Amino acid sequence: MSEQAGDQKDPEREVWFPWTRRKFLTAASMAAAGLAAAPVLEACGGGGNQSTSSTPAAKVPKPRSGASIRLLQWVHFVPAADAEFIRQCNEFGSKNNVKVAVERITADQLQTKTAAAVEASSGPDIIQMQYGWPHLYASQCEDVTNDVNLLKQQLGAVASVNDAFSKVDGVYRAVPYTIVPNAFTYRTDYFQKAGIASWPKTWDDFTQAAGKLKAAGVPPISQTDGHAYGDSLTMWNPVLWSFGGREVNADGKTVVINSKETRNAIKWAQKAVQAGFVVHPEWLDPDNNQAYHADRISATLNGASIYIREKVEFHHFDKVSDNGIVPAGPKGLFTMNLIFDHAVMKYSPEKETARALLLYLMDRDNYFKYTKIAGGYNAGPFAAFDNDPVFVGPDADPKMKPFQQVVKPGKWPGWPAPPSKQTAQAQTQYITADMFAKSLQNNGTGDLESAVKEAESRLKAIFERPS
Amino acid sequence: MGIIAERVAPQKPGYIRSRWLASGEARFGYLLLAPTLVMLGVFLAWPFLFGLWLSLTNAELQNPGHFIGLANFKFEFLVDRPFLQAFTNTFLYTGVTTVFKLGLGMVMALLLNQVFPLQRFARAALLLPWIIPTVLSTLAWKWMFDPTFSVVNWAAVQLHLVGYPGPNWFGGTKTALTALMIVNIWRGMPFYGISFLAGLQTIPVDLYEAARVDGASRWQQFLNITVPLLRPVLLVVLMLSTILTFADFQVPFVLTNGAPFNSTHVLATWAYQWGVPGGEIGLGAAVSVVLFPLLAVLVAGTLLLIRRRD
Repeated sequence: MSEQAGDQKDPEREVWFPWTRRKFLTAASMAAAGLAAAPVLEACGGGGNQSTSSTPAAKVPKPRSGASIRLLQWVHFVPAADAEFIRQCNEFGSKNNVKVAVERITADQLQTKTAAAVEASSGPDIIQMQYGWPHLYASQCEDVTNDVNLLKQQLGAVASVNDAFSKVDGVYRAVPYTIVPNAFTYRTDYFQKAGIASWPKTWDDFTQAAGKLKAAGVPPISQTDGHAYGDSLTMWNPVLWSFGGREVNADGKTVVINSKETRNAIKWAQKAVQAGFVVHPEWLDPDNNQAYHADRISATLNGASIYIREKVEFHHFDKVSDNGIVPAGPKGLFTMNLIFDHAVMKYSPEKETARALLLYLMDRDNYFKYTKIAGGYNAGPFAAFDNDPVFVGPDADPKMKPFQQVVKPGKWPGWPAPPSKQTAQAQTQYITADMFAKSLQNNGTGDLESAVKEAESRLKAIFERPS
Repeated sequence: MGIIAERVAPQKPGYIRSRWLASGEARFGYLLLAPTLVMLGVFLAWPFLFGLWLSLTNAELQNPGHFIGLANFKFEFLVDRPFLQAFTNTFLYTGVTTVFKLGLGMVMALLLNQVFPLQRFARAALLLPWIIPTVLSTLAWKWMFDPTFSVVNWAAVQLHLVGYPGPNWFGGTKTALTALMIVNIWRGMPFYGISFLAGLQTIPVDLYEAARVDGASRWQQFLNITVPLLRPVLLVVLMLSTILTFADFQVPFVLTNGAPFNSTHVLATWAYQWGVPGGEIGLGAAVSVVLFPLLAVLVAGTLLLIRRRD
């Protein structure tokens, strides 16, 4: 695969420290004593270019013996990963005499519960923030810049999307936690039957592949264009970007969706659908998983859970499944992944213990145990996790490589505008996905102009609304 | 003797009222009412008034905001296009489902009012949709309409009613809204049925016997005895059901959450969209109370009709 813009080396992310718990505690104590002041001060500014002269040294939070912590997060698509996460929480609890309760709910319900907790100023001490939620709930999220700086000192730079999501006005409101890379999982047997040698590298190749699969009479490549919080956003935003389309300018105010580039992206999608790519506006996130496992589709864009569960659990199509990176468009390769960070809530009576727990979970050894059990479904949000053995180790499954490759080209909904309340609203209203869905109805013959104008109107209602 | 004299002697109305109020019985009555009044005040009146206030502010999560007059309503009606779609859908959804629930509920009540074997079992079984928690039954329907595993489509294909693979229920704008209506009708029909059944059982059998003696047909008996005597029940049920359907959130939220492309949003789900994921509490409140004037007129009209008949 050709090297893309997103694969360029980031000097800051080259920092890498082999890290153990002992080293973490030692180094963090040194930081507290000021011995490691320089790198910490550099990091405290939330970016290397900012002045840090007045930033205090990072201090290691200490768990309070006898404390109780509630942590709320989603139900992982790989069940064993949740078991490992809970084991690590309990391990932290027993070492520090802290009671840790992990509450899990489905991802589509998580925001409702989070909003209720924020509004009531009561609830879990730690909440998993998905996408740009720290920007929506900043007023109720504790400043964790100190803790992120400790992690940056040990693990290197924060992945760009986690950084953008978790940092609000220069203050970290969440501890970067994980990336769920999204790539295509496909059936090699069906592709071979259709005469397709390898996974498409460009969207045009993708269209050709869809046509060949249809001609061969095998199940199609299918994807949601409905209101799925993951699979719809991770598909249609990259398509838009890779043709040069944008929802809004970098200023975060000027709506620019009504453009030639957007139309090109939609025209590509319409051709792909007419060729044989099947879109499902009714699908939510679990639906393409089920369809793949039920032998109804040849390929779909998803987290690695489809492939992992085939390999570990179902064994129906694991031998004839492979993974492929998101194809590139005329303007390059763009991807979008699910991004989760952990916020310590301001109302929590045990904020310091909560921060200590999050640092424990981000310990390099602990994190690698977690990603190993998750089988590559998760990728770490710091530079030190770039070489996660689950992707590059001697025992790594080479088929998992695409899930590592989609991390660096990743962007966020609303890009290139910085994450904000408005980008979060546009995302949760599925405006871009709706624009594609409307254009793709009736087998790819929907009204393109009407769809673009409606998207523009809806985006303007959000971005141009007086606050 | 004195008591008797007091009872028979004509008294001025004001005198009687003040005496009654002063009595311990009245005080005890108010005491019994107090918990209910407090409950209604705390859990109904206060949230409602607070919701009205929020709709006139630019409140956000963790930000009480300030008074902005009718700006939220202006934004919804003039700028927010999905709101207009949700507004239209809400009326369509309520109108169509109410007609079907009314008709099917009446049929159900008339059938259940007959004597037949396993009558009690049938009554209990037909109540199941109303008893099962809405989210659970809606999730079951979601599977039944699933494009990949739909038992509805499978049955229809097996019976040669439609060609394989059958309709993509949640994939098209019309079919998705139809699916929502089917589930709402399925769930709401027993409420009508059981309420009508209760009303039917209060109608004296003598009236029907007299009508039969006079040679009235079944249809005439239904139109001239059943419907008029069932009218108070019918109006109350219609009013409650209409209000509940206008405010229905669970079925649309669980089944489609507005997809495809906002074609199935109703006001409740759109209010949620702005208020919870969007964090715009004021705007969400404005969407949710927008039907209040209409519903207030509907309730007042229904209550007037019932009272006039009485």
